[in-house]
Amino acid sequence: MPTRWRNERLLVNTESNTTKVLLLLSAAFALLAVAFLGNLWGRSPASPKISLVDTNFLDKATARRSYADLIKAGEDLSDFDCYACHEKGKAPPLRFDTNQNLIIPKEHSDIVMHHGSHERNNNCFNCHDELNLELFQTRDKRELKLSNSAPLCGSCHGPTYRDWEAGVHGRTGGYWNRSLGEIDRKLCVNCHNPHSPKFPGRKPAPGPHPLRGGGAAVAHAEIKH
Amino acid sequence: MASPTSNPAIATENGMNRRSFLRSSVVLTTGLAALAASLKPLMEMNDFPTAERFMQKYYKEMTPADMAKVLKRIESEVEKEYGLRPHVRDYKPMDGVEFVYCLNLTRCIGCRKCVHACVAENNQSRNPEIQYIRVLKMPHGSLDIEKAEHNYDPEQVPEKGFFYMPVQCQQCKNPPCVKVCPVHATWQEKDGITVIDYDWCIGCRYCEAACPYWARRFNFTKPSIPKERINPEMSYLGNRPRRQGVMEKCHFCIQRTRQGKYPSCLEVCPAGARKFGNILDPNSEVSYILRTKRVFIQLKEEMGTSPRFFYYFDV
Repeated sequence: MPTRWRNERLLVNTESNTTKVLLLLSAAFALLAVAFLGNLWGRSPASPKISLVDTNFLDKATARRSYADLIKAGEDLSDFDCYACHEKGKAPPLRFDTNQNLIIPKEHSDIVMHHGSHERNNNCFNCHDELNLELFQTRDKRELKLSNSAPLCGSCHGPTYRDWEAGVHGRTGGYWNRSLGEIDRKLCVNCHNPHSPKFPGRKPAPGPHPLRGGGAAVAHAEIKH
Repeated sequence: MASPTSNPAIATENGMNRRSFLRSSVVLTTGLAALAASLKPLMEMNDFPTAERFMQKYYKEMTPADMAKVLKRIESEVEKEYGLRPHVRDYKPMDGVEFVYCLNLTRCIGCRKCVHACVAENNQSRNPEIQYIRVLKMPHGSLDIEKAEHNYDPEQVPEKGFFYMPVQCQQCKNPPCVKVCPVHATWQEKDGITVIDYDWCIGCRYCEAACPYWARRFNFTKPSIPKERINPEMSYLGNRPRRQGVMEKCHFCIQRTRQGKYPSCLEVCPAGARKFGNILDPNSEVSYILRTKRVFIQLKEEMGTSPRFFYYFDV
């Protein structure tokens, strides 16, 4: 028996290098296998919850509705019935304060006058016809219906009107190819409030979410510092 | 017959003793485990190509009959996945049409509506988020993209002292992305739109690296689109749902513009800052802009990419 043990030990010694390397390799592979199967690293970061965008931001509606839109939609036009209150054929009086700002009568308190630099375009009858309130009058004495206000705007805003006629100022929709369908043009008053024409600001739609977690707020902070 | 060896470490005639058996079985199990681990990504693969898709021909080599078959296949795939029958077509470029986009930097208010209208129109992944349009906010008086910010979120836009510049695929006349594609999965069509065949793309992302405008997006994961937000009007080279591992980018809403309609981003723009049309038609809005507007720039003009996307100013 002792001889056999000794023989064995001798042989193990001569083969010990191979055995060690093989066992070591096996152990390394086993560890790697555990690591891969358990997905110990390389785990994809938990994707941040991104809520669906509010459908209001997908809405193609214009900033405001024009008189023409209201007619088309068959809505209540009693607000535009001037002679329910005013007297026909008689120019309504305008009152100004000491700074030459128009005093808006309380019947028209929904109107905010803010047209022209230094609010100088504050005379109602620069645009409205004083003798027929259901019409507009341009500076060159043309009379226009309330639903046809674009030429009225154009009588002062010439270059913009020219661009608008070419489809370049303002919104378009529908077909770029006129032989395949109609172009959808919007009027000046679909975007601009004629009494206060500056295009209003609005809340922006949500910003981008970066690929690796955190969302816009974190990215924002990163940029700031 | 040799006498049995006294050495247990050497294989006997039976081929094996206990020691070598243990040793080789340890090696074998570890090897198998390692193999299993290395094949594990296959377990996560959910989108094995069907034989039909695998054998599909190159887009430019397909006959109309081949294409009809492919469109049917896509329709049924989409129906299976999203539960609604889409309308998938392969719209061809029109004769005598070259598309140009013009964007009025004076008018853009930075509201990002175009970004989200584009996502909705083009069936982009919602999570992770893929968006073709990025709106950059920059201080007045410069056009330094290095100073631009994406993540602005004020109560109201536009903010005083800043302007906004939406950037998307510029549909270059000399597109670097097309040159680097090793498999010709992206090319420029005759109406100027650079398209991608999502079934031919191998996802190497060379084009993403080549694009100076960062206009190309990669589907790192399977795109997630809520069923109720799917746009069923689809085109082969346009907005059909993409797979994991392919590139995508703005294609000027091919499914709309090749039918004569305006792109989605243009229609939704509340400020009318976006203009689109046929530059070969002298009466189009874009011809008018390039003819009469005093200043217009092509982004990174010095790259020699010759974009079909122009930025201009009103005043």
